[in-house]
Amino acid sequence: MKIASLLSCSVLALALAIPAAAQVYPLKGAPTLSYWMTAGPQWQNRYKSLAETAFGKGLMKATGATLAFTVAPANQADQSFSLMLASGELTDMIEYSWLTAPGGPDKYIRDGYIVKLNDAMKKWAPNLTAYLKAHPDVDKMVKTDEGSYYGFPFLRGGDYLQVFQGPIVRKDWLDELGLKVPETIEDWTAVLRAFRDKKGAKAPFAMSPYTNWGPTFGYYASPAFVGAFGALKDWYVEGGKVKYGPYEPQYKAFLQLFSDWYKEGLLDSNIALSDQKARDALFATGMAGATVANTAGGIGYLNTMMKTKDPKALFVAAPYPVLKRGDKPKFGQLDLPYGGQRTVAISAKTKNLEAAVRFLDWGYSTEGSLYYNFGTPGESYNMVNGYPTYTDDILKNPNKLSVAEAIADYARASYNGPFVQDVRYMEQVANTAEQRQSITIWSTTDMAKYKLPNITPDEKDISAMAKIMSEVSTFVSESFTKTVLGTMKVEHFDKYIETLKKLDIEKAIAIQQRAYDAYTKR
Amino acid sequence: MKQSASERFGTLLIAAFLTLFLLATLYPLLHVLFASLSRPSLLMGHRGPILAPLGFSTQGYEMLFRNPFILSGLVNSLVLIVGGTSFSIFMTALAAYVLSKRYARLTKFFSVVVVVSMLFSGGLIPFYLTVKGVGLYNSLLSLIIPFAMVTVNLIILRTAFEGIPASLDESARIDGAGHFTILFRISLPLVMPTIAVLTLYYAMDKWNGWFYASIFLKDRELHPLQLILRSLLIDGDNGTMAAGSDNADMMMLGQSIRYAAIVIGTLPVLALYPFLQRYFVQGSLAGAVKE
Amino acid sequence: MKKPRAALVPWKKDLKANRTLYLLMLPVILWYAVFHYVPMAGAIMAFEDYSPMRGFLGSPFVGLQHFLDFFDSYYFFRIVGNTLIISFLSLAVEFTLPIAFALAVNELRKGRFSGLAKSISVFPHFISLVVICGIVIDFTGPGGVINQWFVSLGYNGTAMLQHPELFRPIYILSGVWQNMGWDSIIYIAALMAIDPTLYEAASIDGAGRWVRLFKITLPCILPTISVMFILRVGNIMNVGFEKIILLYNPINYETSDVISSFVYRKGLIDFQWGYSAAVGLFNSVINLGLLLFANRLSKKVSQSGLF
Repeated sequence: MKIASLLSCSVLALALAIPAAAQVYPLKGAPTLSYWMTAGPQWQNRYKSLAETAFGKGLMKATGATLAFTVAPANQADQSFSLMLASGELTDMIEYSWLTAPGGPDKYIRDGYIVKLNDAMKKWAPNLTAYLKAHPDVDKMVKTDEGSYYGFPFLRGGDYLQVFQGPIVRKDWLDELGLKVPETIEDWTAVLRAFRDKKGAKAPFAMSPYTNWGPTFGYYASPAFVGAFGALKDWYVEGGKVKYGPYEPQYKAFLQLFSDWYKEGLLDSNIALSDQKARDALFATGMAGATVANTAGGIGYLNTMMKTKDPKALFVAAPYPVLKRGDKPKFGQLDLPYGGQRTVAISAKTKNLEAAVRFLDWGYSTEGSLYYNFGTPGESYNMVNGYPTYTDDILKNPNKLSVAEAIADYARASYNGPFVQDVRYMEQVANTAEQRQSITIWSTTDMAKYKLPNITPDEKDISAMAKIMSEVSTFVSESFTKTVLGTMKVEHFDKYIETLKKLDIEKAIAIQQRAYDAYTKR
Repeated sequence: MKQSASERFGTLLIAAFLTLFLLATLYPLLHVLFASLSRPSLLMGHRGPILAPLGFSTQGYEMLFRNPFILSGLVNSLVLIVGGTSFSIFMTALAAYVLSKRYARLTKFFSVVVVVSMLFSGGLIPFYLTVKGVGLYNSLLSLIIPFAMVTVNLIILRTAFEGIPASLDESARIDGAGHFTILFRISLPLVMPTIAVLTLYYAMDKWNGWFYASIFLKDRELHPLQLILRSLLIDGDNGTMAAGSDNADMMMLGQSIRYAAIVIGTLPVLALYPFLQRYFVQGSLAGAVKE
Repeated sequence: MKKPRAALVPWKKDLKANRTLYLLMLPVILWYAVFHYVPMAGAIMAFEDYSPMRGFLGSPFVGLQHFLDFFDSYYFFRIVGNTLIISFLSLAVEFTLPIAFALAVNELRKGRFSGLAKSISVFPHFISLVVICGIVIDFTGPGGVINQWFVSLGYNGTAMLQHPELFRPIYILSGVWQNMGWDSIIYIAALMAIDPTLYEAASIDGAGRWVRLFKITLPCILPTISVMFILRVGNIMNVGFEKIILLYNPINYETSDVISSFVYRKGLIDFQWGYSAAVGLFNSVINLGLLLFANRLSKKVSQSGLF
């Protein structure tokens, strides 16, 4: 009965193995790990470090690791990161936007800053590994072209979290004027003119930092309006070919539109405004009626703010405009599940590789995921019929904290970090009908087909790419500003194209194409 | 000197212009002061000059001080000023004293070392690595020790020392005094006006400094006041940066917080100003550096 | 005024006699060695494709490549141009106004008014740069006092620092506000040192205000003016980056980006360490040349200079 004994031996082994796996946390030996990160804007003026927040304390308790944080102020992130690199002394764990760091993640692995995580993850990160296995498209995104895992990523756990920006307009004004929510460019022109003439708005369409009207500043390159003409303000992919929006001929029509709008007084004359305060003032004083903004930060925020100024005011989402009524918008804002924000890499010189990996992996476990998203049961959320529901302390904070700030005390769902963002976070935070509808409205685009994935150019191309693009993007945003203001003429578009050629844009496109081809082969 | 009618008119004109200029100089500060004490809601929509507080409110200050780094910033700046200035004066005095003794042959070499250092620098990163290498990173000492001497100040003090008659030196040495004693008991007291001016210079540098603090101090609780103010005033971060912030009240207060921050950032200088005035002429002259 | 050369003391005797003196200098020399000379060796980064993990000795040598890249860059002329333009504007405005102010105050010599004028005008000098820039940003921003004043004159009310053509006036005029009073003090002192009998003689001869100005006042303070002028000229390639960094933004780089801010950005924000070091080195060398030139000139004109 050799087989029987063999069988019982293996069953015994299995039985012993499983409970052992469940006792990983709290980590044996209570390791101390150093952790570099940038301060979260939602808490940086109230706490000196994450360790002081309820979130940080609970995290250390649950994982058993003591964390020594180095927190860089949000506005000094790049400088602090640079100095840390320059000194050659990295903390055990480094939370940074590695994907977009100059040179690309592979470079930092090769240069000996951070560890290639493939082996370590196989051994000590079962939770993340399981998630990536279940989502192969995401898996492709978080690896480099060479197949290396470099960090524990921030992932958006569902489509509902990937769309959160688009055009918004004042519904009460539309109703008053008997207009429908605009769908085409023509509609928009009519609506803005009506706002200008009948409502006395001096800047019917307000532009603001959230919209990023130039590729060099802001986080999002809004596809609104420019998308209607079939172009974008940044890179995209069409039929396997990588394209740079501002270099495409359709871009001219977009410049023409905005230049005309500006001349007619339909745009905020502060087109290069980078101040949310001024934008808000425009709405508060009834000088503006539309803009491009986010679900919570735009619609939610404005509707709350306007309650004291003009209780009738109601902002709603408008679909991404098209040229012909009935067309589906080609482009729209769409964040990839992985955008590279706040990815945690591990220093190549760490002496605590296993502990660090296990610590970070906890965030992807069921328990960890709930914690990172919702915080501490009983304090920041309660399970109501199996649905984690934020408490009133969070949603209607008595100390006048915003929802994002209140969540940040207990969890990280309102910004980013090494975990998978839970859809149920957004479902509760986007708590008005207008906000929920906005997500649906703005998701109705074909962007998924055209979105350029996170490609990383080859190492020898990277510095060339960086040099070219820094000059190109400065030129593009300056040209946009000048064209709209009228100092540069739309008729001289070919001269603009010529300059882009001189700045080696074709070389950059070729580099991107190579990178894209490499990505698709991953 | 008697003035003719036209001369008197000219004088009047000049006086008028100067008055206008002085009002223009003062106005920004008054504007900020009044705005900081205004009610935030009234401040938000206000256009045009502010000649008196709009309503009265100290909310801006209350919110400002909720930021724990304002107070720590003030304390850090104070530590830097007191510690840094005394250390700098000490080192500068040593160096200037030796350099002023031209009869010693080695001082020529020392002078060259000093002057060459002023002309050429290795750049920020090597400097950063050096300071880190000697273990000063993330300590307030990193803003005191590596910045101990400003060569121009050294030259000024050397010139002052050279003005002391050599006979004083000699009689002290005959009495058996060592150089250290001579420096601190005889020479230094004789150049007190210059020392006062250099103290002013060094103290001002410490008070104004923000850039190197951002390089060498990673802990925000060590940051001097001006660095904290930079994120408030220049980067526009006053706690309302939360993407998705739905707190309209905070947005309104942002402006008041900024003005309160400007006032706090200027207050210490204002308080000391009358005391500083007597050193102006010497300070400015010293700044011209004559050999 | 050269002192007669004494016979040189032999080294042995010198070291013995001045032992304690030299000992006093020891900490100072140590300080210069550590904080000035050691970092100088780091300038080698300018000739390498520097990577912190490989260090100074391990990074590949690229010779003058960074310098060539810089001269070739699309924005080379802009950066050098901005540096020179801002310096010249500063020379034209920030240098001359204090003199005019000093002359004006001098005309009102008697009375408490000039004392008050001095006190008030000097105060902004003591305000920190961060606060000054904070005030500037606020006043020129949308809704700000200065911005609003221009709106009443027809301006469109946008943030003034978003307009490249407005950057330089803002930069220069805020500098005037901050420093004119302080810079004028040295001229006021020089003016007060003018022998009053000269003026008495002139008024007896019936000389009016303008004659007094051009025939007595200006010639007397000319040495002061020329020294200050020459020293400033020596610094034209040396626009400090702190104020620039506090006021600039990507939209106005066209007129605001100067050599020092470029070096900072490339080095610390874009991680192009070697390239940034090269540009910095280039700037240092040029500054050194200009400073030596200015110093020589100053000595020729007025027998006084920096060294």
